[in-house]
Amino acid sequence: MQSKIDKFTIPIGPQHPALKEPGHFEFSVDGEIVTDASVRLGYVHRGIEKGTEGRNWVQSLYLLERICGICSHVHATAYCLGVEKLAGVEVPPRAQAIRVLVAELERVHSHMLWLGVAAHEAGFDTLFMYSWRDRETVMNLLEGITGNRVNYSANVLGGVKCDISAEQDEAIRQGVDFLEERTRHYLEVVTSDMMFLRRTRGVATTPKAQARELGLIGPTGRASGISHDVRVDAPYAAYDIYPVKLITATAGDLEARFIVRINELFESYRVIRQILDTLPEGELTVRMPRRIKEGETVSRVEAPRGELFYFIKSNGTDTPERIKVRTPTLPNMASVLVLAIGHQLADIPMILTGIDPCFSCNDRMVVVKDSGGDNRAMTWEALRQYGIEYYR
Amino acid sequence: MSVENDLNTAANLLHVWTQEATTPEPERLDVRIDVADLLAAVKTLHDAHWGYLSAITGLDLGAEAGELEVLYHFCEGAAVVTLRVRTPRTDPSVPSLYPIIPMVTVYERELIEMFGVEVTDTPDPSRLFLPDDWPEGVYPLRKDFDIADAAREA
Repeated sequence: MQSKIDKFTIPIGPQHPALKEPGHFEFSVDGEIVTDASVRLGYVHRGIEKGTEGRNWVQSLYLLERICGICSHVHATAYCLGVEKLAGVEVPPRAQAIRVLVAELERVHSHMLWLGVAAHEAGFDTLFMYSWRDRETVMNLLEGITGNRVNYSANVLGGVKCDISAEQDEAIRQGVDFLEERTRHYLEVVTSDMMFLRRTRGVATTPKAQARELGLIGPTGRASGISHDVRVDAPYAAYDIYPVKLITATAGDLEARFIVRINELFESYRVIRQILDTLPEGELTVRMPRRIKEGETVSRVEAPRGELFYFIKSNGTDTPERIKVRTPTLPNMASVLVLAIGHQLADIPMILTGIDPCFSCNDRMVVVKDSGGDNRAMTWEALRQYGIEYYR
Repeated sequence: MSVENDLNTAANLLHVWTQEATTPEPERLDVRIDVADLLAAVKTLHDAHWGYLSAITGLDLGAEAGELEVLYHFCEGAAVVTLRVRTPRTDPSVPSLYPIIPMVTVYERELIEMFGVEVTDTPDPSRLFLPDDWPEGVYPLRKDFDIADAAREA
């Protein structure tokens, strides 16, 4: 009897009730090697773009801020900057500086969150526990400034709602000093721990030309030498006064993505201190009109995951005509499908995590044999464990 | 290169196909072109390594205008060039940019399901965001789609 080689399709996802963003992937495998991949998103699609068309400009701010729980501040910032541009309103320098301050604190929390998740996927739970413990420092700072741990709501149309007091100034400096020391340690760990390097060095390597073709953006792209950072290319808010240095690497593998993100943390600490040193005095808000002048604008900001793109169209009323949001995970997600091909199934958790997706673990996973029968269920946890065992 | 230089370069590259060019903001250039010229225009920008495709925006100009507009935003540094094409609302269709920019598929899938624009020759027209049981022929980002109506019917 002729033996037929069975192709396995492995669906991963879509849901996990405890985690923020589910997605569904299907990986075809030939033995251990991934031969094809596809993605289905939308399990948390809430129709927010449409939702803004039925709400006024102020209500839309709070809706848009809820697109992302990790980087809510950049969404609000992109939106506010765009609407203020349309209205022709000049926001006070102190407000713009505070926007940048909160944005950089948010980047610190987001990168540390990612560091923990990525370490966890590699089975390095000590690093996960440490980075999440230390991340509490920045979460407390954000809560101290805005009153919230997530969806800080620091922005209002025309400025910010929170000021930085002398006590907060001191607390931020202390927190940043502590985090900087910890970050130095993390950089040493991810570049020297041999077990960890086996999961990152040379994995999902993306040369610059390929990264350009895939449209990689943010730290994921910068790890492949793509020198794009909206904060540098098109400084917004107060980034013209507090310029950031572009951080890139050339290796393009997962290790390079760790190095880029961790080095960006140092840059964030530097900018945070610089803002505190030279925070301009003055008002926090200006008056915004209820109706926004007719027109269209493009607003781009650098989210922790890369360029966040807003297109805003006003028809002259108190309600937006159209708001288009392109989040950084979308172009990066497409790259996973290409990069996964040719890699071991065991590398998938790390490749997915490597782009820092707004998509996390999925607890349901089924291995299905094409010819039917012999189905067995496997959880995301089991796949993670599989990856860890594979490299033991 | 300065923003002005970048925009000038793009304007020259796109000159042959330009129906109408406007600069709504200092760092932006909007270029109206015919749908038939879209691929040629995108290829020219791409071959000249002018920026990267940052997003595709769909706009419903309403039943009265009878047209949909598709905006292709390219970014180079701080400069943003938007290629604008119009297509009839009753039978909207644009060509796929896939042969030139392979990563475009996710953007095109979003455009297809949200606006009902046919994207010819796109390799994967399947749904990206909308649920599996979403009714055929209902496009949520069209202006005549009403969330309240849809909720009542469901």
